Amino acid sequence: MAQKYVIIGGSAGSFQSITEILSELPKNYDATVFLCLHRLKHVRTGFVEALSIKSKLPISEPIDKEFIKNGRVYLAPANYHMYFELGNSFSLSTETAVNHSRPSIDLSFESAAYIFREKLTAVLLSGANRDGAHGMKIVNKYGGSTVVQDPEECQVKTMTTSAIAVTKINHILYLKDIIKHLKKI
Amino acid sequence: MDLINKKIQLLIDTLKVSSDYDFSGYSIKSFTRRVAKVLETYNIDLDTLTRRVQYDVVFVENVVKEITVNTTELFRNPQSWQAIKYRILPKFENQKTINIWHAGCSTGQEVYSMLILLNELKMLDKARIFASDINEDVIKTAKKGIYVYRFNMTYLDNFDKVIRQNPYNFEHYKNVPYSDYLIIDKEKDTISAKDFLKNRVTYIKQNLVKREQIFKTQFDIIFCRNVLIYFKQELQTQMYRYFYQNLKNNGFLILGYHESILGQQAQRFNRKGLYYTKKLV
Repeated sequence: MAQKYVIIGGSAGSFQSITEILSELPKNYDATVFLCLHRLKHVRTGFVEALSIKSKLPISEPIDKEFIKNGRVYLAPANYHMYFELGNSFSLSTETAVNHSRPSIDLSFESAAYIFREKLTAVLLSGANRDGAHGMKIVNKYGGSTVVQDPEECQVKTMTTSAIAVTKINHILYLKDIIKHLKKI
Repeated sequence: MDLINKKIQLLIDTLKVSSDYDFSGYSIKSFTRRVAKVLETYNIDLDTLTRRVQYDVVFVENVVKEITVNTTELFRNPQSWQAIKYRILPKFENQKTINIWHAGCSTGQEVYSMLILLNELKMLDKARIFASDINEDVIKTAKKGIYVYRFNMTYLDNFDKVIRQNPYNFEHYKNVPYSDYLIIDKEKDTISAKDFLKNRVTYIKQNLVKREQIFKTQFDIIFCRNVLIYFKQELQTQMYRYFYQNLKNNGFLILGYHESILGQQAQRFNRKGLYYTKKLV
């Protein structure tokens, strides 16, 4: 089976959902997971550790030009934008924040969309700004699949409703169904 | 290849033959994003940009300034600076001089961080410090040492972590006043480096990727953070070879927090947590 990639974006109110997703993904999960989450600027360490407690998959923050491995979870480092390169590696950037965010979900999604095409599933969770909506549009354009947490369930709806307004979303799901969906891809 | 990538490649080729700048080793993704920013600033399209760089030298300089990224802060990633304070600089206590090169110094915040730390360790007088960047404007800012105060509160947090606190011994706290090194003017909204730090540094305009041997000396410390991330791995490898040539034996190479030497040059350096040392030949 072709390699699959999952990219998840989230902001305010998404941390618990992320840990829930990670706790449900099996040890032999046959995809690579990227997390692009807005973080408080001064909280630079400890996030990987916090996420690792529940996760069965190994989690790390990528270093620049690191090769992407299957069955791992990668977290966009605080204060860097996370891009993907042809040849299956990461690249990082400290360019200015986009939508007041670094990492920017739009930039990561856009880059992943272009590199992974139809092998990509992009998931957007609860969040308080519009970051990610444009990214979802690009995922659509390059044939990836788009999943949004049902705004009804989001602590903060701005992020998910913006995405739904801007582009076609393949699946609008509650968290428990997002997890089911991710297990099946 | 997509049309946009073809056009970006044409721009890179055009710059290479008609100017002094070679971006062919740059990461395509971030280069493309920076070019998009240039197009927005000048309100022109990519074809026009590519035409104009062929005859307008001043324009080329301005474009290059916009393409390169200048993010930096005082004591950026305090953990790295704690390593410099406790693991690196003490090694040079008994040496007569210490040569330091900030490659890609940007607006100079980390140059001043090093100066402050050297002074705290009473090593400032024996330090010879060079700082280089491709962008003359950021060098001007670095020389002035005046920064915006608002939004930069992390500067003081970082100062506390590196200069005042001791991560190895929490009872050991040194209450160094900010005013020893920095002038904060809330009305003007500025935070500036004090004058005695400023004349210590030789600034040089340098296009790093040309890898010219411009120094008559080798360095004890080369400091190059979040510069090479904009390059493809092949160019990174060439840059590590260049830094190797410019380092003394056992000299230190300090990279950004999420950078690491990959590829064939890795074996020529020892990785020690947040920094590298040059292996003995």
